[in-house]
Amino acid sequence: MQRVFYFFSLFLLTQFIFGQNNAIASSEKLIFTASYNMSGLLTDLAQVTMETSEVKTSKSTFLRLKFKARTYSKWDGFFKINDLYESYVSPSTLKPYLYKREINEGGYYKFMQYNFNHKNNTIKSLKRKRRKDGTFWDVNKNLPINNNTRDLVTTLYHIRNLDIAKATIGDSEIFKIFFDNEESEVKITLLAKENITTKLGNKECYKLAISLNNSDLLKGNNNNLLWLTADENKIPVYAKFKVAVGSGELKIQSATGLKH
Amino acid sequence: MRLPLIIISIITALIGLAMSILPFGAIAILPIVVAFVSGFIAFKISQKENKSNNIIKVIFLIIIISLGLTIYNSFKTNEIVEDTESISKENQSEEDSLEELESLEIED
Repeated sequence: MQRVFYFFSLFLLTQFIFGQNNAIASSEKLIFTASYNMSGLLTDLAQVTMETSEVKTSKSTFLRLKFKARTYSKWDGFFKINDLYESYVSPSTLKPYLYKREINEGGYYKFMQYNFNHKNNTIKSLKRKRRKDGTFWDVNKNLPINNNTRDLVTTLYHIRNLDIAKATIGDSEIFKIFFDNEESEVKITLLAKENITTKLGNKECYKLAISLNNSDLLKGNNNNLLWLTADENKIPVYAKFKVAVGSGELKIQSATGLKH
Repeated sequence: MRLPLIIISIITALIGLAMSILPFGAIAILPIVVAFVSGFIAFKISQKENKSNNIIKVIFLIIIISLGLTIYNSFKTNEIVEDTESISKENQSEEDSLEELESLEIED
């Protein structure tokens, strides 16, 4: 009886931490344009794609969350970016099992892989870099994590899965995120509910502020903003971000295969 | 005053030309505007002082070319070249991932 109670409690705890997926469909495709901002003038740099698909193994079905960034061909001759981020998660709870990040930026190459072990709360990390002579070197590590730590891609999708409708303006939530073999805290604050014009039409949106503790990846407190549609799909339609090399914008171009 | 303005105008016009050739888009307008304003003031001073303004005419020519290139480039659509190498890399990544995930069972 005690054992049944233990498993039931564990099940409830898992559901509470990872929640149920109510917003992400298994064949969704969102396409964005990333622009760099200089004195209010924008130049389009890259296309960012967020795509989901179902993948099956002999034992389970996973949801593949794919995040791709590619520079437009006009930039390829000067500085080519070809980044691929992937996360394989549970389709129902978005709990991550495998995360991969392969970045190719103007000749710089880096590959990171995390295998999540939720029983032991550890991550098996693999870091691969390219030497100047073209050969690769690997660094393998086993690192401890908290029981609700997610990778970058899963966190992005998890934010969409939050029940923001129940939040009031000014509410915030902190998430643990594992990036570059380090655990950081991401704070999401609901700033306002406002209408913005996008390629998908005029949409009522949740305006969220994103700040990263213990990291210098994102600058400022309310400089990094994300607008999610205030409907059941919670599509990220617009984002403003400030990084070390300036500021930029991400604007949605198309959204297909949505859940609702 | 005339000489520093001409120097500023030459430098910014050349930056504007370079940026309009490179895919900087609307950002190229910034140096072009600076080149035009400083060039225009230098032109007026030259007229007032009865000095040669041939160099300023060359600057204006560079400005017109840069502006033309910027406007022309703004009509070009953004394109992504989907090379076969990237597609096969993505497919390979999925295959490798499936091998990694094969032994796992989802614990919901």
